[in-house]
Amino acid sequence: MSAVHSTLRSTRSLAISGLAVVLLAGCASFSQDGGFNSVATTARERLKKEVMWSRSDADQDTIAQRVAELLSKPLSVDAAVQLALLNNRGLQAAFADLAISESDLVQAGRLPNPRFAMLRGSQSGPDGREYSIEQAITFNLFSLVTMPQVSAIERRRFEQTQRMVSLEMLRLASETRKTYYTALAAEQSVRYALQVRRAAEASAELARRMAQVGNFNKLQQAREQGFYADAALGSARAEQASVASREQLTRLLGLWGQQAQFTLPERLPDLPQAPNELPNVEQMAMTQRLDVQAIRLQTEALANNLGLTKTTRFINVLEFGPTRMLEGKADAGYKKGYEVSFELPLFDWGTAKVAKAEALYMQSLNIAAQTAINARSEVREAYQGYRSSYDIARHYRDEIMPIKNRISEENQLRYNGMLIGVFDLLADARAQVASVNSTIEALRDFWIAEADLEMALIGKPKLNPPTRSMAASNAD
Amino acid sequence: MQSRRHFLRGAGTLTAAVAAATVSKVAMAALPEPVSQASPNTMPPLLPRTGRPYNPVVTLNGWTLPWRMNNGVKEFHLVAEPVEREMAPGFKAHLWGYNGQSPGPTIEVVEGDRVRVFVTNRLPEHTSVHWHGQRLPNGMDGVSGLTQKSIQPGKTYVYEFVARRPGTFMYHPHADEMTQMAMGMMGFWVTHPKTRHPLIEEVDRDFCFLLNAYDIDPGSYTPKIMTMLDFNLWSWNSRIFPGIDTLNVRQNDKVRIRVGNLTMTNHPIHLHGHEFTVTGTDGGPTPTGSRWPEVTADIGVGQMRQIEFLADEEGDWAIHCHKSHHTMNAMGHEVPTMIGVDHRGIAKQITQLVPDYMVMGERGMADMGEMEMPIPDNTARMMTGQGPFGGVEMGGMFSVLKVRKNQKPGDYKDPGWFKHPQGTVAFEYNGALAKPARFQSKGGQTMPRAQPDSPPVEVKVRKPVGHADH
Ligand SMILES: [Cu+2]
Repeated sequence: MSAVHSTLRSTRSLAISGLAVVLLAGCASFSQDGGFNSVATTARERLKKEVMWSRSDADQDTIAQRVAELLSKPLSVDAAVQLALLNNRGLQAAFADLAISESDLVQAGRLPNPRFAMLRGSQSGPDGREYSIEQAITFNLFSLVTMPQVSAIERRRFEQTQRMVSLEMLRLASETRKTYYTALAAEQSVRYALQVRRAAEASAELARRMAQVGNFNKLQQAREQGFYADAALGSARAEQASVASREQLTRLLGLWGQQAQFTLPERLPDLPQAPNELPNVEQMAMTQRLDVQAIRLQTEALANNLGLTKTTRFINVLEFGPTRMLEGKADAGYKKGYEVSFELPLFDWGTAKVAKAEALYMQSLNIAAQTAINARSEVREAYQGYRSSYDIARHYRDEIMPIKNRISEENQLRYNGMLIGVFDLLADARAQVASVNSTIEALRDFWIAEADLEMALIGKPKLNPPTRSMAASNAD
Repeated sequence: MQSRRHFLRGAGTLTAAVAAATVSKVAMAALPEPVSQASPNTMPPLLPRTGRPYNPVVTLNGWTLPWRMNNGVKEFHLVAEPVEREMAPGFKAHLWGYNGQSPGPTIEVVEGDRVRVFVTNRLPEHTSVHWHGQRLPNGMDGVSGLTQKSIQPGKTYVYEFVARRPGTFMYHPHADEMTQMAMGMMGFWVTHPKTRHPLIEEVDRDFCFLLNAYDIDPGSYTPKIMTMLDFNLWSWNSRIFPGIDTLNVRQNDKVRIRVGNLTMTNHPIHLHGHEFTVTGTDGGPTPTGSRWPEVTADIGVGQMRQIEFLADEEGDWAIHCHKSHHTMNAMGHEVPTMIGVDHRGIAKQITQLVPDYMVMGERGMADMGEMEMPIPDNTARMMTGQGPFGGVEMGGMFSVLKVRKNQKPGDYKDPGWFKHPQGTVAFEYNGALAKPARFQSKGGQTMPRAQPDSPPVEVKVRKPVGHADH
């Protein structure tokens, strides 16, 4: 019991000072930006892009105008990301989380409502009716004590929400980037698939005419027709893949109707002169990654929660307030005083609460450790993927394509010398186009890997397994 | 040095070869200095300055090996070595040969000569020399393993025998023969009669060449030695037309041409404008009673033929192998026949993919001679050679016998194109053409058919009309 007394004593002094703080500071209020500034800052610093939170018709008009502007010319990757950041409704929905979280914060900073209690009893006595009336306004003093801590927790949660929203935004940017490259490469591949088809078509038609004048038999003709049938299938598949990736991009950009007719550039951007050297990529990830920061803050918050639970485990409610009391006749007058009440932990020693808080904290610690481990691994993988896809794309550009070109040139010379026939030349053209396709895919994979690396440095990336070239399997 | 200079004289562009490091200088000092030939041109005949006199031959795009007399023995020095042979202007082959050329130099001796041939091996593998058609001691026959040890790289062997029988012979390796012959190791050997021979006539011009074939992929230099029959270069003395020199003679010269076949198929050698007789084989001169006039002599594998004729008709007369593919240079044997195929529309479509594409073969292969389009490096055009009236459209085993009134005796220079007397050249007919009368009878059937004819397949034949499509 003495522990209870001492706690109570210290609580009282706390309560008074707490009250003073609350009275001086006034109530917590909603911020000007609703927490959006940090998200906007992240967009500016990490993506060099702007985001807008559409909260009014005027905002919506501004966004619509910017979208129209961006759609007026072939979309660059930056324009696509900008478009997604402005126009993706899922992101706008995530911004609402900010408001929800901020409301919680504001709520946590407000005084609880006082409680009014009244007891009224009367009976007929010898001298007339006798009353017993007790009136009390009590106020949960303990909330004053915990208010700074609760506010701090809610503030952290608000900040965490801002981080989560930022992460959501970065994820959207990354997803847009990757889908953009996929869609662009797919469109390029369609063009080359059509070329293969034309080559095969020419072969088939020539073979038909060869057969018509008696220079080819049915087997030779059928063989060339077979190539054409395969090539037609290949171009249909390429078309299908292109439509799918373009629609995915359309969704990410939040476009519909006429807007969905957006145009992409003719070709993927060239491979950079050299890949970025990032020797301390893991360190960068540790300091930059928002998910790592978020889990650290969450763990800190849980540590504070644990402390709070520990200090308050015996006190569920501590209420304090003025009371007045009337006993006897109605004119006897009220006696004034105050009422303090608290719950005694006779049955609940708060151990379960503490254990839960401890478990949550320990859980969070492990999650934080795992997050850090994952982050380091992911960024290593992403960097490795980036470097190797650079090497592969460069190999295609500097080795395979020049060799294929040389083969084509030599074949042309051999055709000129009547050392090979036109069908060999056309078969070579088909093979040539297929390697152009593989080159496009290698370049696409590099840009996707680059997007993954960027994401891995600031948040959890969605790493793709290395893609197998479709064109390579179509080549022969 | 004086003796050496004397020894070198009269053999055209001759250069003393530097002895290879693998062959000891001391050992070489006792040998005739090996003489090497850098030029693929036809060298003038080597008139004998020592030994018994004879009437020398002219080796087409080749030369005769000088010798030295050593105590009455004619000493030659053959060096087997890798060579670079210009097979036609602008087309070189990496071959194996003797003394700087493939085929090696012609060896000329006289019946009854004691001959000593030093053979130095500068090839990367062992070799030996077989003297095709000679009567000689068995141990001099040059079959490695059977009659002698093979000559290891860097080693020199000596062959010595008496040239007993006059006639036309060859020499070639008989060690890893398949490789070494496919690489061009071969040479001519002529044994002239000591005195007048009843079956061997005196001639004014005596030409000789070997038929050989190579499979050199367009753009490469080295023959594919595994090829058995599908060669792409058919050559005379490892030269292909238009790289084969013309046979220039004076009108009414008695001409002998000696041909040996070291390819893997027969070659019907055909001469225009004259009849000839086969006066000799590897077996010797043919009896006069067996001779009959011919314009084509088929020269079987491993055989030699001597043909003789009187060059009494002035002009530029073709002489060539009558297997028409053998008068072509490298060509694709799998190229489909395009004759009569309508390319309209397709040519344009193909050009979108293959920008330099041109339709060829739609009318025939003569396009090849006309279009001078770039072809792979170090590749002889398939059919080429310009004559006074246009493209000759020949390659491979083709040359020209040039018969001129004013060609001086002993002069082998090319006199240029023949100047035809007025009214002796085929000319265009400009008169009207009557409709041809076609034979109408169905004719009889030898045997009735069990089944009726299937309906005839309708084949569209494109007539030679305008050719504006490319
Ligand atoms: Cu032939």
